[in-house]
Amino acid sequence: MLEKMKELICNYVEASPEDITENARFIEDLGMNSYDFMCLLGDIETEFDISVDENEIVKLQTVGEAISYFKTLQA
Amino acid sequence: MNKHKIKTLQDLVTAAAKEYGDNIFLKEKHGKDVIEKSFNTFCEDVQRMTAFVSSKRSTDKPIHAALIGASSYAWLVSYFGTVCGGNAAVPLDAQLGCSDICELLNRSDSEIFFCDSRYESMIPEIQQSCPNVRTFVCFSTDFETILNENAPAAFEPVAPQALAAISYTSGTTGKSKGVMLLNSNLIDNAMCQDNESTPDDVILSVLPIHHIYCFTCDILCCLRYGAELCLNDSMLHIPQNLKLFRPTIMLIVPMIAETMYKQILAAANAKPDIPISAIANTVFGGRLRTIYSGGAYLRPELQKAYIDMGFQMAQGYGMTECSPRISTADPFDTACNGDVGVIVNGCQVKTVDGEIMVKSPSVMAGYYKDAEATTEAITPDGWLHTGDLGYVDDKNRIFITGRKKNLIILSNGENVSPEELENKFAGTDYIAEILVYTEDSVICAEIFPDNNICINWTDEELAAKFHETVDAVNKTVTSAKTIRRLRIREVEFDKTTSKKIRRSQAVQGHQV
Repeated sequence: MLEKMKELICNYVEASPEDITENARFIEDLGMNSYDFMCLLGDIETEFDISVDENEIVKLQTVGEAISYFKTLQA
Repeated sequence: MNKHKIKTLQDLVTAAAKEYGDNIFLKEKHGKDVIEKSFNTFCEDVQRMTAFVSSKRSTDKPIHAALIGASSYAWLVSYFGTVCGGNAAVPLDAQLGCSDICELLNRSDSEIFFCDSRYESMIPEIQQSCPNVRTFVCFSTDFETILNENAPAAFEPVAPQALAAISYTSGTTGKSKGVMLLNSNLIDNAMCQDNESTPDDVILSVLPIHHIYCFTCDILCCLRYGAELCLNDSMLHIPQNLKLFRPTIMLIVPMIAETMYKQILAAANAKPDIPISAIANTVFGGRLRTIYSGGAYLRPELQKAYIDMGFQMAQGYGMTECSPRISTADPFDTACNGDVGVIVNGCQVKTVDGEIMVKSPSVMAGYYKDAEATTEAITPDGWLHTGDLGYVDDKNRIFITGRKKNLIILSNGENVSPEELENKFAGTDYIAEILVYTEDSVICAEIFPDNNICINWTDEELAAKFHETVDAVNKTVTSAKTIRRLRIREVEFDKTTSKKIRRSQAVQGHQV
């Protein structure tokens, strides 16, 4: 999932996939604005066929936290 | 539609049903299905809801009904059902927490609370904190029942001067104020300007539905022109919904324009053999013709980029107190002069001490239960203080230079608009956000770097680059306006729900 996430993130930021780690914070480190982040979540919903809870997404700050959350939805 | 005969929202709903009948008024997603409602069905459902809301009146006085939730057919029927019976709607921001909701329900004297399922769990606390709220309607469980239990009946006439809505401003400073908008205000603003929309147009509504920009320019204009209104179910799904609904017109805020542009650029980089205009056309669903931007300053460079990709892109200007439009751009004007459009018909604009003042039938009746704030905002002869600094050119175009309340008054008495300085950094790609303010009597610029660009820069490189940029800007201003302190922050600025940077927030950046 991390590799796919990296690929999707690169649609919004000028970074190489290898620069994106699980510890990277979406806004502070990757430079996304809040609407970039929403669109990314929309892409992830489509890619992994999940439906995120909009009350939960505000808690997601890093790539790793997001992956853990998406995995709970897939389970 | 004969716009001169439309005086109230009730007139508009009735005229739209008469003129556009069984044409599709609205589409929205229900799970994986899309439901459609015609103009006739909408009018009939509004009549049913009007009967319900009016039945909750305990006196002859109009009842106030608050609404909160994502954009939905139920929200719209509830809003119009309230207003078409001579009652007042209180549209609330869907991002508010429970304590703020309770405060606004009490301040607005609301007696009915319409909400979607996300707010259902708040009802016990609201019941405890808001004794005046006696009726709770949850869209997911109660809406269909109400429609089934109330027969549609012809509307009782409503006066154009009847209060239609109390809209709470989000505001970048201070406590929100309840803007009282009359039926006549909303109708004047929806009718003041003719545009090229037709019943063939499809509008994808992506802005928050409680916001007056969305309400007047998406909803009321669809009813006026018979255009199809497609509701975006979530900010997460705009790209998918563009492909699903294939709009011809969209109203957006600059942040959405920025992100969509990034997506287009990313796709263009991945497919260099395809023209960027073709990629942009696909991203927006294949039929998009016109984009209107409002709510915040749109960089002329970004506007130009969209025009170069083949879209009409126009910027407008307004405020809740003005229902909201004061000026609107001609979408065929491709000059990107940095103006915010031409003054709308019926609106008078003048500047006093540099501040833009407005007089028009769209101007609010005042702030709800706040006579002091109303007196401060509107002069005895009806001119509204916009609080914006700017000027009008000989073509009636408005140019904004800053906010009066943000003015920095220097010790020598000179006034400096922080926005004027901030805008000088527009287009600097390594700066994501900037706020200019005074600190210890000197002008300070606090910058949030664009980490797409700066991710590998050392702190020293970052400081050197920003000092160099500030020095370049300082060369373009008088010595009194010189930025003398620089701070760099690690987190983006706190923003209002309409994505404007809150000017009053703690300094977080470290000085460099």
